[in-house]
Amino acid sequence: MSDFSIKGLLPWLTLISRLILGGVLLAAGLLKVTHPAKSAMAVRAYEVLPVTFANFLGYALPWIEVGIALLLILGVAVKSAALSGGFLMFLFIVAIAQAWARGLTIDCGCFGGGGQVAKGETKYLEEILRDTGLVLLALYLMKFPRGKFSLDR
Amino acid sequence: MAAKPTKSSGQKDNFTRNLVIGMVALVVGVGVIFSVTGNQTKVSSKIPTIASEAEGYGLVFNPSAMPVIDIWEDFQCPVCRSFESVVGSYLSQLVKENKAKVIYHPLSFIGPESVRAANAAACAAEESKFDEFHTLLYKTQSTTENSGLWSNDNLVGLGATVGLTSDSFKKCVNDGGFLGWVNNIAADGAKKNVNSTPTVFVNGKEIDRNTQYMDLNGFTAALVAAGLK
Repeated sequence: MSDFSIKGLLPWLTLISRLILGGVLLAAGLLKVTHPAKSAMAVRAYEVLPVTFANFLGYALPWIEVGIALLLILGVAVKSAALSGGFLMFLFIVAIAQAWARGLTIDCGCFGGGGQVAKGETKYLEEILRDTGLVLLALYLMKFPRGKFSLDR
Repeated sequence: MAAKPTKSSGQKDNFTRNLVIGMVALVVGVGVIFSVTGNQTKVSSKIPTIASEAEGYGLVFNPSAMPVIDIWEDFQCPVCRSFESVVGSYLSQLVKENKAKVIYHPLSFIGPESVRAANAAACAAEESKFDEFHTLLYKTQSTTENSGLWSNDNLVGLGATVGLTSDSFKKCVNDGGFLGWVNNIAADGAKKNVNSTPTVFVNGKEIDRNTQYMDLNGFTAALVAAGLK
């Protein structure tokens, strides 16, 4: 009977949150690790960071996303992984919002791609809403990191 | 008695957990190092005869002419194809008549077929047929990216249609003789903040994307303003 209580559901919600946030990060990372030049270009197109640092981030970020994703999916160090993943998503929201506010016309480059697009082809609102949802999942995971099928004790 | 097995299984899980953290950190660390070092220019890479390290490894035509036109392109990019159809023959003419220094930087954002095409274009440049091969690549550009159209075999076949029949060209295309150079071009484009293709600089300054790329008059005006006679 207790399995049907809210308390019994929480570990399952944690598992689902881990798989969604981890799955999105894994897809985003894997789609980019094989195209480092494009990934660096996508970061440069935000026109925020100095070029050298933007390039470094473009090469490094896909691997970091893969790393956080693996931890979340395997259920290892969930709290720290969720904090890192959520913080990344928060940074993405800020980056996308500033691009929008400044009238840049770029693709977020979240899942590969990126760079300049035509004026009517920006998807800033969708991108921000998606990342906001992921931040919420990360916050949930930080509050309830203990879930089903987790290596964390 | 009951507490002991729990404790030992807890330790075991901690070991697995720490092992996983270690492995993940290793994968991320090695991956980052691999990506960062793999995308730097390598001075040791073989470069085409007309390429110049000082010009960001670009293929340089008429080194002493003015103005200087830098063209960053990706042979698979549809907008580059449109750009070529607008200004391509005019540029060829400028090169032939020694009226401008033209530097081509073939980028490879779009994937393996961009890399192969850029390599083949360098091979063509070694045989003094860059212009012909460049035009041909855009004429045969596939409507889908990395469609299989520009396999090395097909690139060799394409080359033959503009007189690139030598064994050295075939070998250069098949062996990827200039792949290191293609990577150097990409790395230099990253350093120079080139974020879309085509990107055109005249005397080091980007021309106006709204009025001077897809309009021959606008393009010519930019060159005249930069000292074209």
